[in-house]
Amino acid sequence: MSQLLDLKKADTIPAWCPGCGNFPILKAFSGAFAESGLNPEKTVLVSGIGQAAKLPHYLEPPCNIFNGLHGRALPAATGIKCANHELEVIVTSGDGDMYGEGGNHFIHAIRRNIGLKVFVHNNQVYGLTKGQASPTSDEGFVTRIQTHGVMSTPFNPLALAIVEGCSMVARTCTGDPVHLKATMLEALRQKEGFVLVDILQPCVSFNQINTYKWYKERMRPIPPEHDPYDRMKALALAFQWGDSIPTGIIYRSRRPSFESRQPVLRQGSLVTRIKQKTLEQHQ
Amino acid sequence: MVDVLIRIAGEAGQGVVTAGNTLIGGLSGMGVHLLSTQSYMSRIRGGLNWYDIRVSDRECFAGREQADLLVSFTNTAREVLSGSLIPGGLNLHDGEASDSANMIPLNAAKLAKELTGSTLAANSVAAGAVFSLLGYPSDALCGYLEKLFGQKSRELADANTKCARAGHECIKKAGFWERLHAPLPSGSVIGHIWSGAAALGLGAATAGVKFATAYPMSPSTATFAWLAEHSDQYGILVEQAEDEIAAVNMVCGATYAGVPALTTTSGGGFALMAEGLSLAGMMELPVVAVIAQRPGPATGMPTRTAQQDLQFALRAGHGEFPRAIYAPGTVQQGYQLIRTALQTAHWYQTPALLLTDQFLQDMEKLVPVFPETDKPIDRCLDLDAGAEYQRYRVPATGGVSSRAIPGGKALVVVDSDEHDTAGHLSEDFQARISQQDKRMAKLAAMQAEALPPEYYGPDTAELLLICWGSSYGPVREAVDALNTSGRSAAMLHAAQIWPLTPDAWKLRLSGRRRICCVEGNQTAQFAALLRETGILAQAETLLRYDGMPFTGAEIAERIGP
Repeated sequence: MSQLLDLKKADTIPAWCPGCGNFPILKAFSGAFAESGLNPEKTVLVSGIGQAAKLPHYLEPPCNIFNGLHGRALPAATGIKCANHELEVIVTSGDGDMYGEGGNHFIHAIRRNIGLKVFVHNNQVYGLTKGQASPTSDEGFVTRIQTHGVMSTPFNPLALAIVEGCSMVARTCTGDPVHLKATMLEALRQKEGFVLVDILQPCVSFNQINTYKWYKERMRPIPPEHDPYDRMKALALAFQWGDSIPTGIIYRSRRPSFESRQPVLRQGSLVTRIKQKTLEQHQ
Repeated sequence: MVDVLIRIAGEAGQGVVTAGNTLIGGLSGMGVHLLSTQSYMSRIRGGLNWYDIRVSDRECFAGREQADLLVSFTNTAREVLSGSLIPGGLNLHDGEASDSANMIPLNAAKLAKELTGSTLAANSVAAGAVFSLLGYPSDALCGYLEKLFGQKSRELADANTKCARAGHECIKKAGFWERLHAPLPSGSVIGHIWSGAAALGLGAATAGVKFATAYPMSPSTATFAWLAEHSDQYGILVEQAEDEIAAVNMVCGATYAGVPALTTTSGGGFALMAEGLSLAGMMELPVVAVIAQRPGPATGMPTRTAQQDLQFALRAGHGEFPRAIYAPGTVQQGYQLIRTALQTAHWYQTPALLLTDQFLQDMEKLVPVFPETDKPIDRCLDLDAGAEYQRYRVPATGGVSSRAIPGGKALVVVDSDEHDTAGHLSEDFQARISQQDKRMAKLAAMQAEALPPEYYGPDTAELLLICWGSSYGPVREAVDALNTSGRSAAMLHAAQIWPLTPDAWKLRLSGRRRICCVEGNQTAQFAALLRETGILAQAETLLRYDGMPFTGAEIAERIGP
């Protein structure tokens, strides 16, 4: 065999563009994680595929990592949580991964209200495949594939999560690192159920419309008098888009989590219960 | 050999299977060998379904085409299936009068209504009638009904035993007692009725499976349903997935976290799992999938049987990674092999698949008690791994790294990207070669431990019938039939499809006058695999792909002189 090229020097970490919104997300997440007091040994970071999905590999201090298939972070995370619900299972992935390829899982994981903390890096464009429309791209967004502009309605993840009674639904933006970290910390502190944090972030390489400036001009923190348990008001906030985009905790529900409703989990997590069982009852 | 086949037929939704279950349940205490098979259409009401029970003084392994007794719930069933009776076969039909010596009237619903005020126990009337035709006393049947209904309500139990006795008596009075030549009960024939589908569930449960997820798909659903039904008893979390992609990825997640887990599906669902299977290969996860085959392509024939997914199971998933594939031939083998599949998957940290089909899933058989000493499988975990742990450290030989699970001191990093020894994604060419070599190195050890083929028949048989999976039963019965008629035949059955053990195979192949591969597909997929692996250059083939299973008589006849 001929000599192998050594690409180690070229394989710099992280694999993100300078100015990418993933940097502030990584920084805010590291800070929020440290402040939350969660134990990295008892935490699994799950991701799919895409630039956002590489985040778990860059976290310091490191956690357990399951970096699975494109779009399949949620079912993998569901399997992990089912097997050992004592683990904190956190999902970080992009809008393509979570809302596009993994759309069906997104619908059903929230229906289960399984205890996952899900952070979606939503830059409204596909980065790693170099600039195609994502499910959250605004109508009219022109790309090399959507040459006449996007004609489909943008997906509204917050409204869907609220409709399904998700335990906590929030939106934040990389343009405001303080808000970003505070929202992430609030998410990490949530005790039960599915937590969705949709993080608006610019893509400096492929989205020249939804830039840092564009988001900054439109971010409107949700006023403190908003009652997140009011589903209809929360829905109204979720539908606000354009000149004014609300950020903060939009919705909370008191629905019990998937794990808390499973009779077989009452005696402890499945992983601690592998033992012998006789066949007597069947004979 | 005394061998009676009872065929119960009617429309979907009429309770054909319930009637069959009642009868086989009653017969299970009689001390005779029993085997049932089912034929049904893909619909909820109407159509024509039937449930066959073989009652024999010898162990049965497959169904038969011709029936000795037809119990028909509708005129259509009687018209269509009377032609499948042996000459002189009996017709138990719903009515009063009879115009033929072989037509036995029984108005089960009417009798049940008279006795209990409801037609609900009509099946027990019919079962009692069949017991009478077989010349069996009704005690075993009543005992079974008592046990079945007694837990629910006293009234229900009494109504059913009353109806069973009335059906029994009615046939006796009409002069049809012992009209069927039935096997004599033997005290040594004892056991319980298990279906292929349920045996897989029990095998998985005793092996320590604690998480099962699937998207319903015939004919795999019965195994998933068995696990759900027994989930509280065995402490199994059963979750219906939104699709097969979710199911296989959930199993990946659960096994990563240390819990033996599996999914069940059929060919179409397995097609959706292909990427997840590849993920299990890359992450080295002990993922197990049961694939219950039915005829394809596409939706094909949802309620029929086939052995068409062997090459698919063998090749599914992009990239190259080791896998084990098992294909039980009997109900008992299903129980054993799902356990073996789970153990192999955990030993080698790679996926294992089990191929069954509608024929074997629905087959019920009186089988001896499953061993009570069966323990859960060994998960082969390193629970003491420390902070320095690396998931994919390359061992000196064999390719199996020590496996830790999240929650302990060791951080467990797994990636669907190519990765370094620590599990972090890497584009390093050296890491790529070393990890790919490590994964594939497991195959040699898996091959060394693979199950050899099972040989049945005289050692020096001239004719060798090769088969795999559920064709075991029909081929074995064909071998018996051929040898009884003075031929010299034997069976060589593969319960493990991959990896194969060429030496063990070749040992059995030499010196034959004729070798024939019997398979439930059109392209002789196993024969192709035997060629590919250099085990067998050429063989005749005997194939069936209409959606129905082989029978022993059919194979013996098609083999010819």
